[in-house]
Amino acid sequence: MKDRRLLASFVVLLALACVPAVLRDTFLLRVATEAIMWVGLAVAFDVLAGYTGYLNFGHGAFFGIGAYTTAILMVRAGWPFVPAAAAGGVVAAVAAVIAGLPTLRLRGAYFAIATWALSRGIQQLALMMPATGGPDGMRLPPFLHPQFFYYAMLGVVGATFLLLWFLLERAPFGLKLKAIREDEQGAKALGLNPTLLKIQAFVLSAVPTGVIGGVFAYWVTFIDPASTLGDLVSDQALVMVVFGGMGTLIGPVVGAILIFAFKTIFWAYLAEYEVLYVIILGAAIALSVVFLPNGVLGARLRRGAPRPLPVPVTPAAAGAGKLEA
Amino acid sequence: MAEPILSVESVSKAFGGLMAVCDVSFQMRPGEIVGLIGPNGAGKTTLFNVISGYYAPTRGRILFHGKDVSGDPPYALAARGVGRTFQVVKPFAGLSVMENVVIAAFLRHPRRADAEAHAREVLELTGLADRADVPAASLTLAGRKRLEISKALALEPSFLLLDEVVAGLNPTEVDRTIELILALRERGMTILIVEHIMRVIMKISDRLVVLNFGEKIAEGAPAEVASNRAVIEAYLGEARA
Repeated sequence: MKDRRLLASFVVLLALACVPAVLRDTFLLRVATEAIMWVGLAVAFDVLAGYTGYLNFGHGAFFGIGAYTTAILMVRAGWPFVPAAAAGGVVAAVAAVIAGLPTLRLRGAYFAIATWALSRGIQQLALMMPATGGPDGMRLPPFLHPQFFYYAMLGVVGATFLLLWFLLERAPFGLKLKAIREDEQGAKALGLNPTLLKIQAFVLSAVPTGVIGGVFAYWVTFIDPASTLGDLVSDQALVMVVFGGMGTLIGPVVGAILIFAFKTIFWAYLAEYEVLYVIILGAAIALSVVFLPNGVLGARLRRGAPRPLPVPVTPAAAGAGKLEA
Repeated sequence: MAEPILSVESVSKAFGGLMAVCDVSFQMRPGEIVGLIGPNGAGKTTLFNVISGYYAPTRGRILFHGKDVSGDPPYALAARGVGRTFQVVKPFAGLSVMENVVIAAFLRHPRRADAEAHAREVLELTGLADRADVPAASLTLAGRKRLEISKALALEPSFLLLDEVVAGLNPTEVDRTIELILALRERGMTILIVEHIMRVIMKISDRLVVLNFGEKIAEGAPAEVASNRAVIEAYLGEARA
């Protein structure tokens, strides 16, 4: 069953690889490239949000760190693109370890606030440092080749998806992360080291995000702190993951495609109703949280399957213990 | 006398000014079942948490197989062979029963197929095999207590801490759990058990350790302890002449 899904993933990847041959329109190819980018960002976000239970509002910072690392290495050090983008992933990984050690002790809203604050700090840093060009941003050597960027993005995101599929759905790692999500204290008694696992998850989420940021920087040829280090990436990724279905790999893919398609169609045909976009999106998210708490995909998968009974787990047990005393 | 598997040496645990456990010492030999009893708030669960690594002792040492493990984290102790259950059961509610146990089985079986095979054996032993694929949240209280034991067993521990695994069960379920505990002892496991139901603790324990207000007030065979004056006073209050 699961292997059939893997086969399906390969077929989809192969089909996506043929897209540029069919799609001659440069605008549509750019749209497809960006859709794939959002799929990658959402899937990477879900490693922490869905599997481990940590809402990382600093996700965008890893994207920006990857973008800036790539830009700085290419512009100021003359590196070629591929090692520069890879270095973006490495720097994002280092940043994840440094940021993760203090923040992953926190839970729930506290973690969300701490990571959000960290990403604001990094944005300020980019505004002030000479190497980043401050608020003026950085211009990368232009390379106007839409097909190249389509394949670069597809390669990075496709590899990310397969790696995450293996680690989270096949290897023990994914189940261990879910154990942390469900009950961190209980997981410790079963031989799991939560700090180590959470740092690993943080790095696993940060590396592809940084590399995607690097590809993005070279693709759009201009980055500045507002566009690459703002809240947009974290917020969009969160919305896509929640809308599609947290804690699965397919959920974020579905969510990213639906939300990005909605956004693109809206901007293309209803641009004069700009204000409406955010209102409609907000309402859709609110409704999906209320009526489809497991996301679009979760709703489809759960149909017919027995719902977990809402048993009050801890009070019952605690009460039982007291009764006997 | 065989070398003790566990030595609790003058262990104290304070929370601020409150001495939850005060200067408690006892030893356990391989294959023994020791019952840890005492009135509510006596410090039994705190002592469990110290032994299983959730709290570092404020004073004193915990020796496991002769090695000082005081302050080692729970996951390190699990790797050394300490399994525990929680009084307030901690199922991974969103996962299936099987997945719950497989996570514990990864400790000794890093490959998924091996871990699943081992988890299935454990579920056969604890009587949850037919519930393997249901979500853990849908189990009854009795089922969740069995799941707690299953997870601890999947670690293949040499030493097992059971925290009120019988409380809240009906008499039939109680008997089944007692059978299970005795079967584990047959397999050579050493077991420290906290339990409030005297019928159970008297029946299965080789020895009892009694705590009151954090201090050990008695230790010995169940019959001896049951007639101990200090123990009777701790449970029933001082006798009035």
